[in-house]
Amino acid sequence: MKYENLKDELLSTIDTGLKYARTVDNEAEFELYLFYQNRAGVSITQGVVEASEGIIEGNAVRVMRQNSVSFASSSGISIDRIRRSVNEALASLRSVSIKDERFKGFCKPKKPGREGAFTSKILDLSKEELIDYARNMMKEGQEFEKRIKTVGSECSAEWGGFAVGNTQGLQQASRSAINSCEVYCIAVEGEERRTGYEFDITRERLIRTGGLGAKAAQRAVSLLGARKLNKTTVLPTIWEPMSAAAYIGVSLGQSASGQHVVEGRSPIAEKVGEEIANSKLTIIDNGQNPSGINTDAIDAEGYPQQKTTLVNRGKLNQFLFDTYYAHIYGSESTGNCSRRARATHPFPYETSPLIRPKNLEVKPGSKNLDDLIASIDGQAILIVDFPIGIFHSNVSTGEFSAVAQSVFLVENGAKKWPLQPVAVSGSFYTGLKQLLDVGSDLKTTVFNVETPTLVFDGFSIVG
Amino acid sequence: MHVNSESDYMLEKLEKCVELGEKMGARFVEARFDDLILRTLQRVNDVWKDIILRSRAGIGVVCYYGGASGYSFTASDDGKELENTVSRAVKMAKASAKVASLKLDFDRRPPVRSRESDIFPMKIHPGTKDLGYKTELVNRAIDTAREFGSNISNVTGMYGELYGRKLFTNSEGSIVDWNFEVIDLACRVTSITESGDLVNGIGHARGTTGLELFGTKESTPEDIGEEAGSHAKEQLKARACPAGRFRALIENELVGVLAHESFGHLSEGDSVVVGGSPLTGRIGERLGTDHATIVDYGTPNIPEFGGLWVPYDDQGTRADETTILDKGILKRYLHNRGTAHYLKQEPTGNSRAVHFGFIPIPRMTNTYFTPGELTKEEALELLDTGVYAIQTSGGQVEDNGSFLFRATRGYWVQNGRIKEPIREVSLSGNILNLLSKVEGATKDLRISAGYFGGCGKSGQFRLPCGLGGPELVIGEVTFGGKAS
Repeated sequence: MKYENLKDELLSTIDTGLKYARTVDNEAEFELYLFYQNRAGVSITQGVVEASEGIIEGNAVRVMRQNSVSFASSSGISIDRIRRSVNEALASLRSVSIKDERFKGFCKPKKPGREGAFTSKILDLSKEELIDYARNMMKEGQEFEKRIKTVGSECSAEWGGFAVGNTQGLQQASRSAINSCEVYCIAVEGEERRTGYEFDITRERLIRTGGLGAKAAQRAVSLLGARKLNKTTVLPTIWEPMSAAAYIGVSLGQSASGQHVVEGRSPIAEKVGEEIANSKLTIIDNGQNPSGINTDAIDAEGYPQQKTTLVNRGKLNQFLFDTYYAHIYGSESTGNCSRRARATHPFPYETSPLIRPKNLEVKPGSKNLDDLIASIDGQAILIVDFPIGIFHSNVSTGEFSAVAQSVFLVENGAKKWPLQPVAVSGSFYTGLKQLLDVGSDLKTTVFNVETPTLVFDGFSIVG
Repeated sequence: MHVNSESDYMLEKLEKCVELGEKMGARFVEARFDDLILRTLQRVNDVWKDIILRSRAGIGVVCYYGGASGYSFTASDDGKELENTVSRAVKMAKASAKVASLKLDFDRRPPVRSRESDIFPMKIHPGTKDLGYKTELVNRAIDTAREFGSNISNVTGMYGELYGRKLFTNSEGSIVDWNFEVIDLACRVTSITESGDLVNGIGHARGTTGLELFGTKESTPEDIGEEAGSHAKEQLKARACPAGRFRALIENELVGVLAHESFGHLSEGDSVVVGGSPLTGRIGERLGTDHATIVDYGTPNIPEFGGLWVPYDDQGTRADETTILDKGILKRYLHNRGTAHYLKQEPTGNSRAVHFGFIPIPRMTNTYFTPGELTKEEALELLDTGVYAIQTSGGQVEDNGSFLFRATRGYWVQNGRIKEPIREVSLSGNILNLLSKVEGATKDLRISAGYFGGCGKSGQFRLPCGLGGPELVIGEVTFGGKAS
């Protein structure tokens, strides 16, 4: 399949698949989702090379009859495999009566949004070029200095798309081509091991790997010689963009989901219009940002992707919805139906629809990182990379406890020395209210959150 | 994909892939076919949120050339597409070999043939029961959870099953043909405290077993619902765990997370050969106390202890018992064929992939601490004062041995007696430091392996793994929580 005619081919298969479904059961409503992606990836760790290239393709079918809904998916997009999914989904409905009175049907046709930015250079990337990129990043890291003992690098290029059709008359498709790279360096001195990490991910241009290996190495080396904080206390914490992105993604990224709101798991469910954060905080989910990694013309059920303001100057403005939860809540979809978290689900057709932010954007403030550090009286903790364990937090309690590995002590307005890992804990939602400042150093991260540095007060620190 | 209508139809396809790969210049070829069914049922309060059936059928091909590997896969069994797949794998391997400075070759070995006894015996295979049978299991768990819970804001019941055929052949003529299977029934209750906080209680029963599991003591849907409901109710009165360093008694499931996340990953051969693991070059060194023995075993005694049945890995190697840490001394790493050869050890059967779409990499099977001599009472007495940490909602480890795990619930223990419940709490530290503080282990071994959850590594998520152990008394652990 070629990129140019991908949409036509997928939509043609959608049409055939839906016609088949109608012949099997002309009373039921059907939705058919097809996914096709060519993906090549190379990883090099200390000279060990692993490379793969393959086509990820699959289909997913949802069937609704008399308020009962079921889902089946299969690898492959041949009509045989689609038939299998249709028949499995119907068999589920026939074998057990499972009502969901809240389900009112699939997405109705609407004018699609725009696909994100595209460059054909990504389609032309050869496996040799990917290997070169990875090798150069590794070499840069290794040559940085002697204390860098292990370097790993990865590059990948993917292009493809998806199509959605249903018996409401909707038939839409969207495409994207993305390339990404990452490098990590481990610096070792005696028993101490510190890791530095850098990355690039983009759909607008080819990845820029130059300098990333050295930056990752520099970061790892700068963390050596860490001292123990040696106390249990409460201190302000300065979260650089990578760690701030994890914070925003895990807290608002989850609790603003209409699913958690409707199902009673979101602690901000009743707080629309209320102040949930410092007035310096504005957060938008932008499914139409041309450079956003998750930007598509439609979401995973065919609804146009859009821009939604979640938090406006500290006040909760809106939740994120797909058609199903929007209906229950009494609202409109915000085009946030999704079938994947990109990093963890490379086979999205296997996932039944759920609500996910597309591209979260935190509006930057006016101070750069140095100014933010300079504004600290007494002590604070500077968190450079995302703390481990933060993704295991619980959306319903909002309580988190994570271990920040890459941390520095800040004292009286100056960055001091690296610290041994500290445990940081508190409540995400209380934290938003105790936000002290928002930086100007906006950065796109691998978590699909674009954010500057954030400064919080009130978290417990054990170090 | 043509599936399983003739037992050797797919084997012929795989053998053709091997032959093609060798013709195209690969020095060694592995081809495998997965034909897996995954069923997920999820009921949230009174609504069925998920009734999902997934079919994963496809072929994966690894080609080796000059100490490097290339991987490709396809969901099609069309001859032309298989040729393209093999061709992609060979080209990737050749391009990689030009830049590979650390080679992971391996020796040829006699072919492996799977046996009848590799089929795990079960009375009620999940494939033999209809959907209604399984939804009823979930309904029963939820009904009981509601009886035992209080101030409930959400009750979720989940059933999952994963089963199907795994077929493998390679350039040595190995033929490995076995069936993977794991089932899981879980219930989670979320309750609201008087101050508006949300707390959780969780119950589950799972592993490689037939559906007869849910008719046995402590594993019925009613037992699972009661556990979730009553623990959420208890959490309503629990206080936050104080932050700081305390003595700890760690319950079996959480001990398993320690064994898997904190230590097991560091022992995986791929991170060892590149020096990325702090265990690199430390075979024979004392890393823990005499109470710390950790093994990985693909076929443990599941009827007695629980766990996951993995007789072979995805390179066709038998997943025998590997003692990684023996009474505190580091003995072995967990290998694929390449890392074993490089480090001059025997392969351990730990090369696994989530499914045909991924290249096999060193992963664990069932990883657990072995039991000790203490009774529960003796363990509490040895703990004296500290935290009894129970169950887990996950964990993570860094390549330097740092870890963070979340205990779902726990108790504050004073002078050997359980004093009061505490809320969800995190434990953190460095595993190498923690192993040197293991003071004792209880007699009871439990291994847990589920459909929900699973292990994530190198972009491959939710690989079912077994983990467990006895209960361990640890001299000092850092607990998150609230600093005063």
